[in-house]
Amino acid sequence: MIELHNVTVTYQKDAPALNGINLKIPKGDFVFLTGASGAGKSTLLRLIYAAVTPTRGHVVVDGQNVTRMTRHQIPFLRRNIGVVFQDFKLLQSRSVYDNVAITLEVLGWEKKDIGKKVYHILKQLGIEHKLDASPQRLSGGEQQRVALARALVNEPRILLADEPTGNLDDHNKDQILRIFKEANIRGTTVVIASHDKRVVHYSHNRIVHLDKGSIKEAHDVTPQA
Amino acid sequence: MSRPRHNLRPHASTMGHWSRFCYFAGKAWANLIGNKLVTILTVFTITLALLIISLFLLFYVNLEGTVEQWSRKVVVTAYFDNELSPQELGALKNRIAALPGTESVKYIAKDEALKRFRSRLKGQEALLEGVAPDVLPASIEISLKKQFRSVDSVTGFVVGLKRIQGIGEVQYGEEWVRKFFTFFQFLRVLGILIGSFLILAVLFIVSNTIKLTILARKEELEILSLVGATPFFIKAPFLIEGMLQGAVGSLLAVILLVGGYYTFLAQAVNFLSFNPAESGLIFLPTEYIVALLLGGIMLGLIGSLASLKKFATT
Repeated sequence: MIELHNVTVTYQKDAPALNGINLKIPKGDFVFLTGASGAGKSTLLRLIYAAVTPTRGHVVVDGQNVTRMTRHQIPFLRRNIGVVFQDFKLLQSRSVYDNVAITLEVLGWEKKDIGKKVYHILKQLGIEHKLDASPQRLSGGEQQRVALARALVNEPRILLADEPTGNLDDHNKDQILRIFKEANIRGTTVVIASHDKRVVHYSHNRIVHLDKGSIKEAHDVTPQA
Repeated sequence: MSRPRHNLRPHASTMGHWSRFCYFAGKAWANLIGNKLVTILTVFTITLALLIISLFLLFYVNLEGTVEQWSRKVVVTAYFDNELSPQELGALKNRIAALPGTESVKYIAKDEALKRFRSRLKGQEALLEGVAPDVLPASIEISLKKQFRSVDSVTGFVVGLKRIQGIGEVQYGEEWVRKFFTFFQFLRVLGILIGSFLILAVLFIVSNTIKLTILARKEELEILSLVGATPFFIKAPFLIEGMLQGAVGSLLAVILLVGGYYTFLAQAVNFLSFNPAESGLIFLPTEYIVALLLGGIMLGLIGSLASLKKFATT
């Protein structure tokens, strides 16, 4: 599903953000990317949704070489990838509904279908009563759910999340992780970048540890008792 | 490389072309209403810019009109030593009228020539006392068609005229004609230069103003791009917005111009020493007004396109 072949990303000449990365994430996998700040976790996620071009090597997603995609092909790749950003990237001047609907509008869905689908996903995430609210009036956990709803509403094949539990309390963390798990059970490949130990040890998941742009270890962990 | 598969769920019906256009237009309208201040600023900039251009056009059109009036004074005069018989005169007039470029032919008899001369000496008519009525030669005055009023055409016309039997000396104020047309050409080039400069400046200003609206929604553009919007999907509402702003801006400019022009005509008599309504002052022709309105729409469209070029990338 996701393959990185000898990928190097250099933002500044002498300090590569990622260095010679080789990684394979099969379809339906649930992977945690761990590592300290600046280890290259976010860059690796950005490579997958083509927001960053590798300096060397190539990235294959769903059988297609992302590195060789044209500007006009990239949107179609992104329609299969849901992304939850660290800063949520919600439009504060729009309602919760608008923020989620944007994903389906881009796909050209009819208004009536968008309405049903958005309500359905918000209900699944337990925030359907906030439909008309502005994101700035929501708590951190609720904003995170809106961001998740936007990423999940078109049932993407891949779900990426960058520090999705960063500012949440333990209760909210568990709930958010449960949603990721449910998406994974439905067949979505999930990749989460996080340095939160509680999150990483959430369940039987593969962990890819990054250190200064290189993979140091990749293994499965058993959940803590 | 084949295009990636679309992720459209089978249960969802997708928009047709018309629905899609309505969606973009709706988005554009919502954005215009949602960003009132920036919208007003953009429309105001377009109005002001087009008002400057239309005032320049108004000035240019009137200048051309004046020059056209002056160019009517380019008259070729052919002299005869003796009076012609009516038959000879008729034949000659027909031959001149057949020359390409002739607009009108007028015969000035000897006594008519003296009468004209006398009228020019107003107050000093005494100078002509005792002068024989046939002292001045008879002549034919030929006015030229508009397109034949250039230096080369006049010279060519005179060569043709001289070939006609019975024509003596020919005068057309060669030096004056040359100076006049050189000045006219200079005015034209200057007008085109200033006009082009104005259009470029206006395009720059409008594009920068529209850039403000795009900057204000940079975050939205980024999110749209990240959830898989095509460049066209991102650009379309902005282009419609630009065209709407251009249309409203140009309409306002035309209204202000018409209002300003007729107010000026009504008031000018009070503070100018002439009445502009009687001085041949003309308003912009309809095709110029239509061009201004279409120009406003194009200005909005090009301004949006230029501003989006930088932002609507992956």
